[in-house]
Amino acid sequence: MNKPFQKIYFDPYIFFSLFLLSILGLFFLFSASNADMSIVFKQFIYVVVGFIVMILISQPDPDIFRRMSGLFLIFSLLLLGITYLFGPEINGAQRWVRIGPMSFQSSELLKLAVPIFLAKFLFDKKLPIQRKEIIISLLIIFCCFFIVFRQPDLGTALIIACSGLLVLFLSGLSWSFIGGSIILLIISSPFIWNILLQPFQRQRIATFFNPESDPFGASWNIIQSKVAIGSGGLLGKGFGEGSQTQLNFLPETETDFIFSVIGEEFGFLGVLLLLSIYLFLLLRCFYLALSARDRFCRLVIGGLSLTFAANLIINLCMVVGLLPVVGMPLPFISKGGSSLMSLFIAFGIIVSMGTHKKFLPQ
Amino acid sequence: MIFEERQIEKNNFSSRATLLFGFIILVLIAVLIKVFSLQVSGYSDYQLAALKNKNYAVPVQSLRGEIFDRKGRALVKNEPTFDLITRPNLILDIDSFLEEIGPVIFLSQADKLKYKKLQKEKAFVNKELVLKKDLSAEEIARFNVRSFNFQNAFIAKRYRRISDYPLIFSHVLGYTSRTDDDYQSMPEIPRSHWKDAELSYAHGLIKGRTGLEQIYNDHLSGKHGQRVYEMNARGQFVQPLSFFEPVKGSDLFTNLDIEAQKSAAKYLGDRKGAVVAIDLESGGINVLYSSPAYSINKLSNGMNEIEFQDLINDPDKPFFNRAIQGRYPPASTIKPAIGMYGLSKNIVNWDFEMKDPGFFTLPETGRVFRGWRKGGHGKVDMHKAFLVSSNTYFFSLAYQADIQELANHLSSLGFGQKVCLDCFDEDQAFIPTPEWKYSTMNAGWVKGDTVNLGIGQGYLVTTPMQLANYASLLATKGKFLEPSIVILGNQKKSKKIWQDNGFDNSDWSKMHTALLGVIESDYGTARSIRDLKEFKVAGKSGTAELVSLDSKEAYQEVRTSELLRDHSIIITFGPMPNPRYAVSVVIENGESGGAVAGPVAIEVLKSLINE
Repeated sequence: MNKPFQKIYFDPYIFFSLFLLSILGLFFLFSASNADMSIVFKQFIYVVVGFIVMILISQPDPDIFRRMSGLFLIFSLLLLGITYLFGPEINGAQRWVRIGPMSFQSSELLKLAVPIFLAKFLFDKKLPIQRKEIIISLLIIFCCFFIVFRQPDLGTALIIACSGLLVLFLSGLSWSFIGGSIILLIISSPFIWNILLQPFQRQRIATFFNPESDPFGASWNIIQSKVAIGSGGLLGKGFGEGSQTQLNFLPETETDFIFSVIGEEFGFLGVLLLLSIYLFLLLRCFYLALSARDRFCRLVIGGLSLTFAANLIINLCMVVGLLPVVGMPLPFISKGGSSLMSLFIAFGIIVSMGTHKKFLPQ
Repeated sequence: MIFEERQIEKNNFSSRATLLFGFIILVLIAVLIKVFSLQVSGYSDYQLAALKNKNYAVPVQSLRGEIFDRKGRALVKNEPTFDLITRPNLILDIDSFLEEIGPVIFLSQADKLKYKKLQKEKAFVNKELVLKKDLSAEEIARFNVRSFNFQNAFIAKRYRRISDYPLIFSHVLGYTSRTDDDYQSMPEIPRSHWKDAELSYAHGLIKGRTGLEQIYNDHLSGKHGQRVYEMNARGQFVQPLSFFEPVKGSDLFTNLDIEAQKSAAKYLGDRKGAVVAIDLESGGINVLYSSPAYSINKLSNGMNEIEFQDLINDPDKPFFNRAIQGRYPPASTIKPAIGMYGLSKNIVNWDFEMKDPGFFTLPETGRVFRGWRKGGHGKVDMHKAFLVSSNTYFFSLAYQADIQELANHLSSLGFGQKVCLDCFDEDQAFIPTPEWKYSTMNAGWVKGDTVNLGIGQGYLVTTPMQLANYASLLATKGKFLEPSIVILGNQKKSKKIWQDNGFDNSDWSKMHTALLGVIESDYGTARSIRDLKEFKVAGKSGTAELVSLDSKEAYQEVRTSELLRDHSIIITFGPMPNPRYAVSVVIENGESGGAVAGPVAIEVLKSLINE
């Protein structure tokens, strides 16, 4: 490649899917925010910046991510530390760091840093992965998980842990180890419940198993979400016509529960369309992962896209009542610059790794 | 890594990625199925739940029907008043608003404070708030001229339940009072929504509590309408969605007669007592008056606690409806009933004569029962016994009676039971029996008890309503209609027939002649009222003794305490010979039946007949 600027690394399928999701997202956000143009405009800026960032990030050769992964992880952890020490407290949690006019949720970076670093750490190891490597990986994962969990931000912490574990799994973690871990997890679950979880987190889980117990308290959100989705019917009530959304019976319409807004106003067909786009995007990532040029790229594409998928299905399962309520936005749709930005960066990396080919066998 | 190893690694990755992506797809399908079950299978339930969230229905109060007398004159009506109502959410600065409206509407300091207290809360939820009730004509005029200045206020009509005769009809009409909700009549509106009801009455949601207002509450209430608002999650009214008009309650047409009721009140004056008059053609109750009375207008539209307590604690018991709840010994007015018993059981006949020495001696014990006149009435037959009200005659007749049979006979005449079809809280009074005496007084029934019953003294008590019912039975010769205040269709009223094989038409004629003689003959005990009228009237008077005494001298001592004086009682019917109305009058501590209660009965008859 003598002329580096002759070729632009670009995946039309991913670009088109994300474009569609972002446009729909702005559209839904308009209704979810009771037609608050300032919110929609701000989100629009994030989307535009996000696309530019994504295209820029997908240009360099994947090797740069491998070389920078250690630095990136340290940088992310440092930023998290700064947040922890100096960040403003919002709703009892310190999650934000201010950079000029923008505030950024620093834990978002870990969602990227952890899987990339682990991919780098594991990509040249022999199969099956040795005990020493597993322990180091788990330690890294646990540390990152724990720091975010203490903020407290259970949702993001779970996603970070998930991203690391996915990479570990994809890189060839032995099945016997997986089985053993699951047994260990079951045994230690009372400990997790009693000591690690905050009271409000415990209540959310209790509410999930018995939502009618407290219809005006903790389970209000999930009941109203189900009512919103259910009352949408096949075709929905129409744009801006959802009473649950517009009259504020539905909580957190702009963020966690925006899927319920879509369900209410656009009905089953709207949901079907949205899920089809997500599915298409995921299948494209799957294809890119399988056809990537080397093991590092495979692991990163697999790790990042499955993390995105986990993020998606946790949000969906939560708003339809299949999982307890955890703070988790709907990717590319929910309001929020930090999560949107980290998603665009992730897809930038995915595109970079999926489109750069090495034709010379090593 | 060598090529083979790479191939193994790649295959391993592919299978694991396929597993994970497959799992993700399965979860997405599960979500889709769940969404389908919510949106398609569960649609109707969730749609209902969403509507329940946002739709807030408030009742719109219906107007009650009005009540009319037998000539179609209004007894109770809905009178419009005007309230100033504000929309607090449109008032930006409450102090300047109050200052601005001050010259238009008079507001006391207390009014202002109360308004300020509620304003914020109502403004938040976009509800209306009354600033002042019952505006004067000037205030209305002043406001209308300046109404363009007050986009946040308007005048609305609110009714009050008003009677032009609040005192004389108080017991029979009864009153309404405020109620928190009318949930029973409209269960589709939850209890908690009633506080937001759109009111038609200034006094709020009202409900009949006594009298006709209570008995015919359902008939009068009508059907509340409803207005459905869209409400948001914070409880704010967003916009009205639909409106169903209330249906006004049905009017009530009664047999009551304003003029006759006025006469009853006027001639009873401030004495305690009761008057009941019945139209014999329809069984309709024309007069039902109890004295003293109270103002239903005040009670129905908000009476202060002190006034209310005064009424409750009044020793004359104005709330007590003497006409249907007062228990009085019938005294000599019972004599026709005793006579009917003696004739039908063949104990006596009209020709039977006995000597009245002025007292009756009970053979078993030698106890003496005195007549009202010292020396007695000489030779008396039944006709004369009625005219002069011979106690001795009826003592000796009752002496020969079987108490059980006599009690049954009195019961067949309507005593000891409720007789009015639609009276509020009527008392059934009481006929004594040996079982009753044994169980409550732990004493056996003695002959003397039966003898006392013969002149309506002792344990027997009746209400003025029962006496009027009994008078109409006598007047119609046993073929009368069940008394009712409201004009009811014929199918609803049963004809009551009293008959006995031993008491035939000639007995009835003789009975009428005798009772006519009580008032119209020179010997009758009630002859003093003979000249008060142009028509002829039959009847029987009585003087109910509250203390049992042996001599007139002793009574002179007793009567110094007014509350121990005898009750004065009369039953009458007229005009004879074809009576149209029956009237009973009881005057507490009035003494001497014919002369005291008589004129009241005559005046009531006059106003009924002359109309």
